[in-house]
Amino acid sequence: MRKKEMKLVVTFHTTADAMATERVCKSADMPGRLIPVPRTLSAGCGMSWCTDEALEEQLTALLDANQIEREGIFHCEI
Amino acid sequence: MNLSDSKMKLLIAGLGCGVIAAVLAYMGNPANMAFCIACFIRDMAGSLGFHQAAVVQYARPEIIGLVLGAFIISILTGEYRSSGGSAPMIRFILGVIIMIGSLIFLGCPLRMVLRMSAGDLNAWIALIGFAAGAGTGAFALKSGFSLGRAYETKQGSGFVLPAMMVGVLILLVCTPLLKFSESGPGSVHAPIIMSLIGGLLFGMFAQKSRLCFAGGIRDAVLMRNFDLLIPLGGLFAVMLVYNIAMGKFVLAMNTPGIIAHSDSLWNVLGMYTVGFAAVLAGGCPLRQLILAGQGSSDSAVTVLGMFFGAALCHNLGLASSGTAMNAETGELVAGAVTPNGKVACIICIVICFIIAFANKRKQS
Repeated sequence: MRKKEMKLVVTFHTTADAMATERVCKSADMPGRLIPVPRTLSAGCGMSWCTDEALEEQLTALLDANQIEREGIFHCEI
Repeated sequence: MNLSDSKMKLLIAGLGCGVIAAVLAYMGNPANMAFCIACFIRDMAGSLGFHQAAVVQYARPEIIGLVLGAFIISILTGEYRSSGGSAPMIRFILGVIIMIGSLIFLGCPLRMVLRMSAGDLNAWIALIGFAAGAGTGAFALKSGFSLGRAYETKQGSGFVLPAMMVGVLILLVCTPLLKFSESGPGSVHAPIIMSLIGGLLFGMFAQKSRLCFAGGIRDAVLMRNFDLLIPLGGLFAVMLVYNIAMGKFVLAMNTPGIIAHSDSLWNVLGMYTVGFAAVLAGGCPLRQLILAGQGSSDSAVTVLGMFFGAALCHNLGLASSGTAMNAETGELVAGAVTPNGKVACIICIVICFIIAFANKRKQS
């Protein structure tokens, strides 16, 4: 079984915001991937963006620059 | 207990849902309709007088139980959140479309899986349409489709649908006001208390595991994540074993008495409509009931759209008929899709495309 590790998880109000995050991160060469919102964070079934914890500042700056609204930022084991 | 933090727990949730469906089938629910959200909402709409199709009128306690089960578990675990305001009228239309597509195929995605587990090849063919529809919805999401965000609302807003369900339950148990089929699928059911308990438990399992047929395909297409398909596998496996053990597994297409038809094109198109609309609405009919139970007014509006759609289907002759044996002549009468139903299905698909590509996320 894959070992869980601490990750940065960003949740959004809409799926479209999650998809937009994937687009801007790809164009900025920032690593990460879309994952279902971890069940520990929400009973909803949307998508979230998962990346390295060290990239928090870069990521939030990128989201702000692209006016992508986030619901929350979490550090959790994925 | 979190039922979705491991694949094994997701499988257990699916197995649990499968056992509930099998018990309800054993206790008297119609063949291959142990637990069908679309059919049961249609029956409930009939019992409330929304339509006058005498053979499909019964306030199914399973629907009441699903909403209340999700409501109770979300309150107990602190996950209840009253929200709304994400394009409610578009969601209402999507609810109508989901119901029209379902009643052309004759079943929601949940019943499609139950029919598959009984060897109904029509359901296997319809799966192609459902996957293609959900895939089209996923493509729309990839292209920027959005109905906008939901906002927190007054607590009472999320209580309305669960309260309405309690009201229907009281009317069902304590009064003779509701309509009740004396023959046909609406007259065939498990005891009320069993149906209610089954619905409550199913609702709790579904809330904890986030069980969703459309979401499973959406996640597989967009994220290569197959987690939501695991409980569906568990549900299918239990019902397959049940059907084989009870001698109800018949690998065929033209089977009388299972409330299905063999018009493959319209089975595919009906479920294409359901898959497409469900992804746009953010969940299959089951998931809409669960989300409504945990406080989403947007999903509650979608559920009301499904009630409205059920009434339209029977008032305007859109619903298909199932293959049946003529009791007097002993002849096989093939089920069919009505001309009105075919026109409605095409209109629904066109509306889905308009909704999908006219509602884009605001670009920065």
